[in-house]
Amino acid sequence: MTMTFLQRKPDSGLGNIRSSPSAPSRNIDWVLLLAQSVLSVIGLAVIYSASHTKFTDPFLFVTRQEVFLIGAFITMIIVMSFDYDWWKDRSRFLYGVTIMLLVLVILIGAVSGGAALSFDLGPLKLQPAEFAKFTVLLIVAAYLGDDRSDELPYHRFIIGLVLVGVPAALIIIQPDLGSASVLITMAMGIMLVAGAKARYMFMITAVSLATVGAAVVAGFVNDYQLLRFRAFLHQDSREKDLQDVIYQGRNAIRALATGGIDGKGWLQGPITNAKNDIPVQWADFPFSAVGEQFGLIGCAVVIGLYALLLLRIWRIAHLSRDLLGTYICVGVFAMLLWQIFQNIAMTVGIMPITGLPLPFISYGGSGIVTFFALMGLVQNVHMRRYR
Amino acid sequence: MAVDKRSARLGVLATVSLILIGLLGARLWFLQGVQSEAYQAKVTASKTAVVYTPPERGRIFDAKGRVLADNKRILTVTVDWAVVKKPKNRQELFERLSGPLDTPVDDLMRRYDPCHLMPKPCREAQLYDRLLPLPLKEDVDEDTVAFIKERSEDYPGVDVVVQYKRVYLYAPLASHVIGYMGSITKENLDTYLAQGYKRNERVGQFGVELSLERELHGRWGKRVYEVDASGSIVRELTDQRVEPVAGFDVQLSIDLDYQQFAEQALETELRSRRDLPFDERAGDRAPRNPRDPITNFTTRVFFKTLPDGTKQDYPEYVNHKAPAGSVVMLDNRNGQVVAMASYPTFDNRWMEAGITGTKYKELFPSKNPDGTKIDPDQSILVNRAVQGNYNLGSTIKPFVAWSAMHSGLITPNDVYLDQGTYTLSQIPPEDCQNNGGNFKCVFKNATCGNGRPCQYGPVNVESALAVSSDAFFYRLGELFYYASRKQPEGDPNLLKVNLQRFGFGNKTGVQLPYEWSGRIPDDATKKALVEAGVLAPGEEPRLLVGDEVQVAIGQGLMAATPLQIAVAYSTLATGGFRQQPTVVKAIYSPLTPDLSPGVADLESGTIVKSYDKPTIVDQLEDNGSLGAIGSGLHRVIRGPGTVYKDGPHRPTGFTLFKDSDVDVSGKTGTAQGAGNLPWNDSSAFGAYGSTDALPYTVVAYLEKSGYGAKAAGPVTKCMFTALSDPTVMAPVLISDTLDLGSTLPAPSNPLAKAACLTGIPDGQKG
Repeated sequence: MTMTFLQRKPDSGLGNIRSSPSAPSRNIDWVLLLAQSVLSVIGLAVIYSASHTKFTDPFLFVTRQEVFLIGAFITMIIVMSFDYDWWKDRSRFLYGVTIMLLVLVILIGAVSGGAALSFDLGPLKLQPAEFAKFTVLLIVAAYLGDDRSDELPYHRFIIGLVLVGVPAALIIIQPDLGSASVLITMAMGIMLVAGAKARYMFMITAVSLATVGAAVVAGFVNDYQLLRFRAFLHQDSREKDLQDVIYQGRNAIRALATGGIDGKGWLQGPITNAKNDIPVQWADFPFSAVGEQFGLIGCAVVIGLYALLLLRIWRIAHLSRDLLGTYICVGVFAMLLWQIFQNIAMTVGIMPITGLPLPFISYGGSGIVTFFALMGLVQNVHMRRYR
Repeated sequence: MAVDKRSARLGVLATVSLILIGLLGARLWFLQGVQSEAYQAKVTASKTAVVYTPPERGRIFDAKGRVLADNKRILTVTVDWAVVKKPKNRQELFERLSGPLDTPVDDLMRRYDPCHLMPKPCREAQLYDRLLPLPLKEDVDEDTVAFIKERSEDYPGVDVVVQYKRVYLYAPLASHVIGYMGSITKENLDTYLAQGYKRNERVGQFGVELSLERELHGRWGKRVYEVDASGSIVRELTDQRVEPVAGFDVQLSIDLDYQQFAEQALETELRSRRDLPFDERAGDRAPRNPRDPITNFTTRVFFKTLPDGTKQDYPEYVNHKAPAGSVVMLDNRNGQVVAMASYPTFDNRWMEAGITGTKYKELFPSKNPDGTKIDPDQSILVNRAVQGNYNLGSTIKPFVAWSAMHSGLITPNDVYLDQGTYTLSQIPPEDCQNNGGNFKCVFKNATCGNGRPCQYGPVNVESALAVSSDAFFYRLGELFYYASRKQPEGDPNLLKVNLQRFGFGNKTGVQLPYEWSGRIPDDATKKALVEAGVLAPGEEPRLLVGDEVQVAIGQGLMAATPLQIAVAYSTLATGGFRQQPTVVKAIYSPLTPDLSPGVADLESGTIVKSYDKPTIVDQLEDNGSLGAIGSGLHRVIRGPGTVYKDGPHRPTGFTLFKDSDVDVSGKTGTAQGAGNLPWNDSSAFGAYGSTDALPYTVVAYLEKSGYGAKAAGPVTKCMFTALSDPTVMAPVLISDTLDLGSTLPAPSNPLAKAACLTGIPDGQKG
């Protein structure tokens, strides 16, 4: 396989330290940025189509999402502005802040007597779990990147596991199994590339499952998440509790399936554009709106854009000047892949329903800002690959 | 090589992502490419709710536009089938509804499941349509609706819908003609469902409601609604709306003024026949059971043989049972039935009153308390005018006379010497009963005052009809028998084919259900009766000369319905034109407006089909025969009779119309009943107006009520009196509400002025 696409000189190694005269600002991956922007614009259209019939102000959610996108873009530029080594140096501090926030949000939840996933700051809702995706990625990549051995040593594996495990456990307690699964996937991706042995990978999987099981038994997982899982296992159940969840999932599949090859047309989807057939479709099931309105062709375009996105990130992982950059890209790659897969798979009914948003398309400030920030890190690696 | 290892590990990552994306792609292809249409079908089915809207049933008017059958909008409490699917929910909800709806829980349960708490094995079919909400109680009042609506959270799935209920404004008048409605029976369910009916529906079960069900019913409409997750309506899909089509309105030819008068006259006369005094008074009395001259007057002539073989005399006087009867009045110009009464009658509102099965059996018993079937005399839900299975008695004589003349057996002027008896001419005398043989060869006339058969002397067709000479017609019977025998093998019975020309032996085709075709006996008919075991044991399975002789005077196996007799007399009245009888005058397009309460505005209605133009189904050949018959029938009423050795003989209807100047022609008839007991004689009379001013035919038939001129005669006379002077009829009023506490199928309804009935005819059988 020719690797001209990767523009990598033979024998130069992954961590190419030969500096290049090109300035970072001239090395932005424009293809990556374009794919990400097109997905965001598609997201705006999808959010409008899925929400305009449900509220008195048809632009309510689109307008908010536009504001989020602007904020997210600014965040991305900030992240890109500093060398990722600069971010690496602050990773411990950021990690500490993250753990603190996660504990705090649990305490607030306990005091207020309900599950709390976010700090309510007036119009803004800050979700520490989203923040954690950025900071935990940094610290794990930084910690593992320090070691240049070909295989992941056992102690590094354990410490890496603890670094991910602590915030993940706190997030499970919130309870937000979806976000925790993203962190774990990210860690698994990085460790895989860092040279973890197969048994380490089994171990991390086993520990994750054990943690989730313990959380369920201990009652940290709320009933709603269990319901969703039961609904997935019993799609034809007549149990009254399951009806809402089954209904939501079933309608999502129907919306998507009835779109057929070429879709029903923009704003012409009887289910997507109905009053409330798929609850919170704009956040949880945007892909069903794509499927109904634009059909298999539309779905292929969206998945194609994601594939392009992943390909560019994968490419940057190769081009990175050092292991830290590679691990950052791998972590983002794993998180993106997992969220894309999990969201679309639950929409088409092959995975249980979770609240994981579809990157760049789903409505939601925290998710958008987080992913733009992560993309900022990836661009950062690309921009400074010759330095 | 570290580099290649990392590269390979990144390749693993890429492979994983390719697998996952491929998985998604495959699933998407399956859903959107392969299964798309199947899902579309599911979505279409689950996203809409269909509400069926009932059609308004066509109304029924009388000839003057009075609304005999109307529709009332009622409120019905219903429940969603799904809500009461679980037995626990059902029990709870029905317990809560039982009070407000004033209905026992078990009755509500039986609405859901007809076998609830019923003896096993229960095979009751599901009564109510699963596509429509389950009706729990019909015709609830506004207060109940308000009570339930205010507490809608306590009554999930319970709704109130508008339905139509049939109301009969002038009930019980003409109930047998109008008929009634009822639930679709198991046997007819499939037929009705195939025609777009719903299981819940009530359909015609009797009378015009049944026979014109197709016209009256209309077509269901539907509304298709889009519904959301909770099943609540989002919007109506107006392009799929189908409006219900109301049924056609039906105008009957029945004129309620004459109908009421006929019913009243019939009932009044029947009651007075039952209540005749036991002793002789004013020439009218209960039938007498004289002493036996042979046993030296020690016993009565009529007696019962008890099971132990001893004889028990009937009393000297036995009252008529007079249990039932029928009156038919036809318009000779178009064959329309102006009045059709059947007694005992009933109020068809009972069938809409929601009464219990017990109450229904009490009102309309089909069995005696001891479990035996009731005497057919007592049956109520039969329209005797078209279902009656009656001997005609002498009312058949005009038609036998025409048959004989038409067949060339006699001419109008042939004279026969009636000396009181007729002896069969073709049987060798030694075979006759009176000479010790097997055959009854001697047939007698009715007795005159002296106890011996009347001798009418020389009679032709005209005078034989006037005095109702049995001997004359016995002879015709014998002539017919041997004329038939002379025909080639396989030819139909000669008398039968002639009588069929008047409509006997076949259904008239009037728009009423369960019509009986009547019976003219021939070899095949008698064979069938013998094989069915209906006749006395030992009867020959073929027609004998004695049978034909009996047919000729309207006794024996010959039978017809009152409507058939009326059609036959009407044929004589029109000079030989037999018309198709009809109880329908016109079919109107739906939703004819009202002129005033209870009266439709026929002027502004649109006639879709009119029955005013007569349908001639046969024209009889004349050759002077009809003239002779007409003169004879006129002489029955106006004389003269005949004079012979035993004195003058007045015609049978003479005294009846003595005090009336209504110009009619007619014929009496007395059908002998069981055991030839005089109190079992049934009374028949057929008559028509002799002038164009009275273009009507009236036939009355009163079971077990005596001689033709005594019971049926007065009723017929009353109808003609009313035709010439309508003021004798009481006005027709909208009925009071049905008294649900009553134990009678219909309240008594006698004539206010019974003067027309009291013509005191003298007793002459025939």
